Amino acid sequence: MPIGVNSLARLVKHDEGEIFDIELEKNILKANDELASKNRELLTRHGVKAIDIMGSIGSGKTSLIEHLAQRLKERRRIAVINGDLTTTIDADRVSRHGVEVIQINTGKECHLDANLVAKALDNIDLGKLDLILIENVGNLICPGEFRLGADKRLVVISVTEGPYMVLKHPFIFMEADVVVVNKLDLSEAMGVRFEDLQADVKKINPKTRVVGTSCRKNVGVEKVIEALQI
Amino acid sequence: MHELSMANSIVETVLEEAKKRNASSVIEVAVVVGEFSMLGLEQLRFSYRVLTEDTPLANSKLRIKREDGKVRCGGCGFEGPIQFKQKQEYHLVFPTLECPRCGEAVEMVAGRGCYVKSIKLRARESSPNP
Repeated sequence: MPIGVNSLARLVKHDEGEIFDIELEKNILKANDELASKNRELLTRHGVKAIDIMGSIGSGKTSLIEHLAQRLKERRRIAVINGDLTTTIDADRVSRHGVEVIQINTGKECHLDANLVAKALDNIDLGKLDLILIENVGNLICPGEFRLGADKRLVVISVTEGPYMVLKHPFIFMEADVVVVNKLDLSEAMGVRFEDLQADVKKINPKTRVVGTSCRKNVGVEKVIEALQI
Repeated sequence: MHELSMANSIVETVLEEAKKRNASSVIEVAVVVGEFSMLGLEQLRFSYRVLTEDTPLANSKLRIKREDGKVRCGGCGFEGPIQFKQKQEYHLVFPTLECPRCGEAVEMVAGRGCYVKSIKLRARESSPNP
């Protein structure tokens, strides 16, 4: 088919039969948003709630998921989707708590996207579930851009990342419904106060709830459950 | 960090269009990147250059336009650009979702996208029947 004929896109300019300007307006990121909406519809239809758990590397995402699974498994039917570059270390840790775990290895990709989650959902019997915890790839930048279709987005950070880390990564906190500040047991040693990090998050996003935890000392996990309304 | 996959999606979109229109090569690709997207423009250009080698897009010009972000307040109806705050002790300026008029949280309503706005193609010299 020759250029500009029978096309849905608008032909703007036609330069001496040789060079053509074509207006496309093809949204690259929107494709992900549309898939995310489909994931959300699928989950809603089955009455399943999903939480997208984002956060820095080593902040305690997996530890928090282990605690949530341990506490909730008696009252909720839970599955965990684990996003990681290559290993199954996190998936192995979580499956010890007797919940279903689906591993997504992203290879070189720095985040989960709606398509990868849709594939994982294909492998889960949603009729037998109430809650899916999705562990995103450890990264404070890219995951924020790719919605997965979760009900709520949680960001896990920790006091060991220093006092400036919230203000240096404002966009992920704009996306967060709940923020967990973990490793409060190390707060004094680090010289980083929960209250300061909480205030920084609130300055960026006044509607986000901020909860302090120490997964190692098993402190604050109930408050996370309450904040996520799971 | 996901500039390579975004550049890949851009290249695929353009290649598909060029094939559909029986073009011999692509001269220019205009892309719009929203203010709130996390894409680094330098990395996007670099990825584009690498990915287009040995394709009909080779040596094409990538034009990138920034799209301003816009926020809207559900509380008071404020609509405008995103606001910034300062933290004096760190000499840091950072964006905030706090509404400048009423203090409620605003929503981002524009500036999250990344799209291929237009392309410039060169037709094959010996086009089949019109």
